[in-house]
Amino acid sequence: MNMPRASLPPPARGSGSLAFLAELSQALALSLDLDTTLQQTVDRVLDFMQAEAASLFLIDENGGATMIECRICAGPIDVRGLRLAPGQGVVGRAVAENRIQIVADAASDPRVWRDVDRAAGFVTRSLVCAPLATAAGPIGALEIINRRDGQPFRGEDGELLGVIAAPAALAINNARMARRLVEQQRLRREFELARRLQRSLLPRRRRGGFPVIAVNRPAHEVSGDFYDHFELADGRIGFVAGDVSGKGMDAALLMVRAASLLRWIGKEGLAPAAWLARANEELCVGARHGRFVCALVGWCEPATMQVAFAAAGFPPVLVEQDGAVREYRAGGPPLGILAEAGFEETCVALGQGTLFAFSDGVTDVRGEDGTPLGLAGVRGLLARGRGKAPAARLRGVLAALRRHGLVDDTTLLAVAAPGAPAGNVLLERWIAADAAQLRSLRGALRDALGAIGMAEPERERLVLAVDEACANIIRHGYGGEAREGIGLRLRRDGARLVIELTDQAPCADPARLKPRPLGECRTGGFGLALIDAVVDAWRLENGPGGRGNRLVLEKHIAGATPAGQEDR
Amino acid sequence: MSTTVNSVATEAAGTYMLVRVAGEVDLSWSQQVRRAVLDALASGQPVAVDLSAVGYIDSSGIAALVEGLQGARARRQPFVLVAVSAPVRAVLELARLDSVFALAASADAAFAAS
Repeated sequence: MNMPRASLPPPARGSGSLAFLAELSQALALSLDLDTTLQQTVDRVLDFMQAEAASLFLIDENGGATMIECRICAGPIDVRGLRLAPGQGVVGRAVAENRIQIVADAASDPRVWRDVDRAAGFVTRSLVCAPLATAAGPIGALEIINRRDGQPFRGEDGELLGVIAAPAALAINNARMARRLVEQQRLRREFELARRLQRSLLPRRRRGGFPVIAVNRPAHEVSGDFYDHFELADGRIGFVAGDVSGKGMDAALLMVRAASLLRWIGKEGLAPAAWLARANEELCVGARHGRFVCALVGWCEPATMQVAFAAAGFPPVLVEQDGAVREYRAGGPPLGILAEAGFEETCVALGQGTLFAFSDGVTDVRGEDGTPLGLAGVRGLLARGRGKAPAARLRGVLAALRRHGLVDDTTLLAVAAPGAPAGNVLLERWIAADAAQLRSLRGALRDALGAIGMAEPERERLVLAVDEACANIIRHGYGGEAREGIGLRLRRDGARLVIELTDQAPCADPARLKPRPLGECRTGGFGLALIDAVVDAWRLENGPGGRGNRLVLEKHIAGATPAGQEDR
Repeated sequence: MSTTVNSVATEAAGTYMLVRVAGEVDLSWSQQVRRAVLDALASGQPVAVDLSAVGYIDSSGIAALVEGLQGARARRQPFVLVAVSAPVRAVLELARLDSVFALAASADAAFAAS
């Protein structure tokens, strides 16, 4: 700490200095009401130092510019509220230089700023000013004016004032930090409450034949993004994805309003364009300037997979069918801007295809070259997961986006006909290509194999084979660099177990994967041999464009519970 | 399945070095096991690797043991796997390496016999 180096106050003036200081320090340290204590401090300093006037100044950084404001006065002049710039006058200089200033003769000293006297009708003859020093620099200054005995102030007066200023600075600093801490805790509590309220508005994921899946990642404590899905009495399933402009608490509150509004209007079963128009009218009432909501709403008929949707300022919807991807830009302006806005509606026979919608937090993520991903980048990310279940694809895209660094709230939504019956897939997992993930993957696999009645020696061998395959992908496929993850799907096909492992590593040449004989004393390269020894058949398929591999392991299960009975 | 925390520790047990391995030896930390085995061999004394608390081992873990065995052979240093757990034994058998290693019930038994 930058404190004056007076080990003991000089005995010349103010006899009983030590007792005074001890008392003062204690009063400041125990103070519950700092303003009152500081006023008492300045009053007592005035008497102790036998001065005519005393003032305490504090740095005020509100409003950008640093100013030094007089907060407490004692004696005949009251200049509270007076603001000085750092360097201005003796006080400004004490703060700017972080040094005690002693002015013996004010009339001839150029440091003195005389306007104060003129305004206060007071004559300053001599003064001392000590900075209120803290570890982070001065936070203000303590000033005394005119010795009552008419003598000029001397060096020891300066030292003594410096010693008095130290506990005052400490007490003010502590009080400020405590106040800041309380404020931070209050804010954190409020954000936590808002976050929980927001999460409670998002629907739970529906399993087993539900055609809508969504994921959402807030960029901050609270989110401006939301999604929703619900069933109508006639069997249709409604879906909503939304994005409120701006960030922070007021965006979060508008999100809460918009999400409830879109849900309640949606439950009336209106056509998507009318649905948006109604929500828009409501949001335009009492809308705050510059705040708006981008949204996509729609219906899906699960029996026919007919989908109808309409968008308001939302990024284009992608529809993937038979390997081709089409963009639908149809829509209208964001909600909450123009009360009479109209919205277009699009109908698609989705069939076995998949509809993807995403908030602009997805397209705004910056790719490796620093430019935003854009629609093309998102299409590229989605294409990598082709062949996987929609939920796995959304997770894969989200994981890739997180590696690029999410800058905005991010929401992804998919609509697709539920695929193969759920009982067929025993386990579906996506892990980062990181060896630390293998232990929990083995655990999940053990549980899934145990659930179909596979006994330990056989089960452990299959777990080993999958673990070896994953280790190979991490070590050789990705070369230790966990850029993308590994997808695992354990399927049952009659008496056959099929394990598919997919990755986004450069294509491996299937012709070069030759298991070497076991029993040789080698320190590497027998992972594949172990896999080969455990499973009945395995094959490697390459992805398009030189990236992506799918390793398929097959194992006949004789002693397992017959298919279809595992859930009973 | 064992939920033991992964750990490897070496102690000087009089006339030999004892490396105790516990947990699931996989790609995430098999290098640490390898290092411990090679460091124990560097002492020049006979080395025993206790595998009683190993619930899982993959090929990278086996490779670490093979490397130890090769180093020990080159220097004519006794190298024994002791108290091999059932999961480890199963993988050694699958890799047909169970007859390559010297296996013993305990380090004392192994080195008393030799």
